[in-house]
Amino acid sequence: MRILSVDDSAATRHFIRKAIDVIGFEFLEAADGKEGLEVVERENGRIDLILLDRHMPVMDGIEMLQALKENESFKDIPVTMVTVELERDEIQKAIDMGAKNYLVKPFSQENLIGKIMEGLELEL
Amino acid sequence: MISLEEFRLIRDYIEKHCGIHLTDDKVYLVETRLTTLMIEQGCKAFGDLYQKSLKDTTHALRDKIIEAITTNETFWFRDMHPFGILNEVLFKQFSDEIRSGRRMKIRIWCSACSTGQEPYSIAMTFLEYMRQYPGTIRPEHLEIQATDISSTVLFLGKLGRYDSLSMSRGLAEDFRNRYFETTDNKIWTISNDIKKMVTFKKMNLQESFNHIGRQDIIFCRNILIYFSMEFKQDILHRIANLLRPNGYLFLGASESIIMYTKEYEMLRHAMGLYYQVK
Repeated sequence: MRILSVDDSAATRHFIRKAIDVIGFEFLEAADGKEGLEVVERENGRIDLILLDRHMPVMDGIEMLQALKENESFKDIPVTMVTVELERDEIQKAIDMGAKNYLVKPFSQENLIGKIMEGLELEL
Repeated sequence: MISLEEFRLIRDYIEKHCGIHLTDDKVYLVETRLTTLMIEQGCKAFGDLYQKSLKDTTHALRDKIIEAITTNETFWFRDMHPFGILNEVLFKQFSDEIRSGRRMKIRIWCSACSTGQEPYSIAMTFLEYMRQYPGTIRPEHLEIQATDISSTVLFLGKLGRYDSLSMSRGLAEDFRNRYFETTDNKIWTISNDIKKMVTFKKMNLQESFNHIGRQDIIFCRNILIYFSMEFKQDILHRIANLLRPNGYLFLGASESIIMYTKEYEMLRHAMGLYYQVK
C-alpha cells in the first residue's frame, strides 16, 4: 500500500513516516498541495491513501482536495484530512467535499494507524 | 459544544457497552475525542451520534466510539516485578509440575493487551527461564491469550513490529538483540518463536469469559481504574471463577483490590505484589 503524506510540517511527515514503516506500507511525501498534486501525477494516481494537512502555504488542503475531486483519474483516491484545530465547519467542509475521514493533531501512532486502516477500508 | 445532557447520554452508553466510567469532569475529553467521529458520520449534534449508534445493529459505530475514548499506553516489562515473580517463583513451580506429570500446560491471559508488549514480555520471560534452566520446560508448554477491545492495537500486536521509540520503553538491549530482528535499526520485528506463543483476539470485558477457558495466571493491569466500582467487582469475581484452583492474578503497580473483593489472598515476592485466588 502506498500512502502519501502532504503536510508543511517536516516533523509531522516524519512522525507519519515512522507509523507507515511500522505497518510496512510505502511512504511518499510532499510539503504543500501543489507538490502533492505533482507527486500524484508523477505516480499516475497509484496512491492508496492521501493524508492531507488542512493548512499549508502555496496550496492548502482544501484546494488540493478540490483539484483531486475534479480530476477523473484521481477523484477516487481516499483522502484523510489532517488539522491542528477542532474546527467543526472546516471538518464538515472537507467531508462534504469528499474526504473519507478526519484526523486532529496531536494524534498517537495508534490513532493514526486506525485512521489509515479505516481510510483504506482494511479489516484489522 | 456538547451539552451536559448529551454528555450524560454518551457517558452512560459508553459505560453500558464497555464499562468505562467517565465522571462529569471528562466532558472535554468526550467532546474532543468524538467531534471528528460525529462529523464523519454526518451528524449535526452528539445526540444524533448517540441515536445513530443505537440504531446500528452491526455495532460498528459503537466500536468506533469506544475506540475513540480508550487510551492504549503500554511498554515492555511494565512495573518489572510481575516478570520477576514469573521467572523466580511461578515458572519454577509450574515447570516442577510439568516434569512430574501433574501439569500439561501453563495458560496465561492478558486481558488488556494493547499493542502486545505485555504478552510478548511474558513470552520473553518464559524463554529466559528456559535459557537459565535448560531441559525443564519447552515453548509448547506455554499458551498466552491476549485480548483487547481495540481492533487497531490488536492489529499492531499481531504484526509485532515496533519503532525505536516503542523499543526504548522498558526493553533491555540484550533482550532486543536476542528476541527481535531488524534490517534498518528503525523498525524491529519480534521473533516468530515468540509470536507463535501468543494468540490475539478482540474482546470486551463485559462479555462472558467462558470462551477464554480456565487460566493459571491472569494479567489485568492498569485497566480496572477506568471502571465503576460495580464493574470492578464483577470483573474480579469472574476472573476468580476463571482461574484454576490456586491460580494467580497480576494488577498494575498502584492498583489494589482489597476494597472490592475477598476472593483473593495477597502475596509478596521481592518488591512485587500479586494475588492468588482462595
